[in-house]
Amino acid sequence: MTTLEQTRTVQDRVAEKVKKVRELYADAPEVGKVALEKGIDALKLELAAATQRESAGRIGARRGKVSELTAIIPLEPGGGKRIRGLLDLLEGNFKGADVVGTLHDMRFVLLDNDTKLFFATAYDGEWDAYIDDFATKIPNSMDILFCNCKGWPGIRSPVIKDWLVSHQLTADAWYVASPNLTVAETKRLEKVGAAVEEFLDKIG
Amino acid sequence: MATQTSAPPKQDLSVEQKIQQFRELFADAPELGKKALENALHELKSQASDLPPAVESAGRVGARLGKVSELTIIVPLAPGGAKRLRGFLRLLRGNLSQGANKVGTLHNMRFVFFDNDTRLLFATAFDGDWDTYIDDFVAKIPDYLDIIDSAWEGWPGIRSPGAKDYLIKHQITAEGWYVAHPDLTVAETHRLKRIGKAVDEFLDKIG
Repeated sequence: MTTLEQTRTVQDRVAEKVKKVRELYADAPEVGKVALEKGIDALKLELAAATQRESAGRIGARRGKVSELTAIIPLEPGGGKRIRGLLDLLEGNFKGADVVGTLHDMRFVLLDNDTKLFFATAYDGEWDAYIDDFATKIPNSMDILFCNCKGWPGIRSPVIKDWLVSHQLTADAWYVASPNLTVAETKRLEKVGAAVEEFLDKIG
Repeated sequence: MATQTSAPPKQDLSVEQKIQQFRELFADAPELGKKALENALHELKSQASDLPPAVESAGRVGARLGKVSELTIIVPLAPGGAKRLRGFLRLLRGNLSQGANKVGTLHNMRFVFFDNDTRLLFATAFDGDWDTYIDDFVAKIPDYLDIIDSAWEGWPGIRSPGAKDYLIKHQITAEGWYVAHPDLTVAETHRLKRIGKAVDEFLDKIG
């Protein structure tokens, strides 16, 4: 139940934030200032809905059950060529990622004339458990890909987690369309959906 | 780029030829990588011989696997842009769900500042074709986009005819793109959630 008082508190909070956004955009380019005024009603809704920031644990943002890992890592000379060649030969096949089982999506992008790797994933739950999963389930694949990064200590190294943390960047904003669905739960729903269709076919 | 190689198409290579190419590729890799490659050769053999749907193009730019595409954009920030955008996102507590839900084809989205706040990385997973996706943003949340993108150096405005060219210029196609459920769009996932709930209710009633 929302009491009148609670409503008022939310409204006050939103009003305060709207004021702050306007201050923030006082010196914005014209296109931004105009958009802010045009979009102010939608923005108020968004501000009212904004929930507490969540963390994936040691580092990274989380929304519901889904977390983000984002890293930008300098590459060894020739590292970009090797990563590209490897991914090219695999034709985008990441069976290893299926084995990990907690990975929603993952991308490898080469930046700045192949001198850096941008690596980003969406995954389930806690950072530490996620890294442990990689280390226990697909250690060789990890070393093959990431040995091309400067200073990669090896997935079995005791300092691997510190090394990863030192290259990871936490997202300032993280959106997930279905924050309550893990990879496993989505798989289950796919099965339920298929079973329901079969069931309806049979009685139909 | 991967497409510039003069080698024969990958599907024409035998698994043994691929293994040979893996080895050549890693001839000058760090010792750790070479060792890992030898350890993983049997896995790589099975991966190279048992191929899933290939990664395709999301249209003008970007990679797509099944129904899900990736967009990765890196832009230089205008002076003061980082401060403004950070402040804006902080006021929203990093939550952009109202606007993003409205677009309806967005699986996930992240904003990351780097290089001492001089550059911004924007990465999304979305459904289908690049042009349609951008059009959706323009049609459904144009103001949001301009509020955010006005922090970007040289952003012409989402209603400008130059907006798509600007985006393409700064987008980088991923070399590797994995999706756990390549056949599920955002809409289909929502539908499955409803079915799952209905089935639970149904089973409760007859249970």
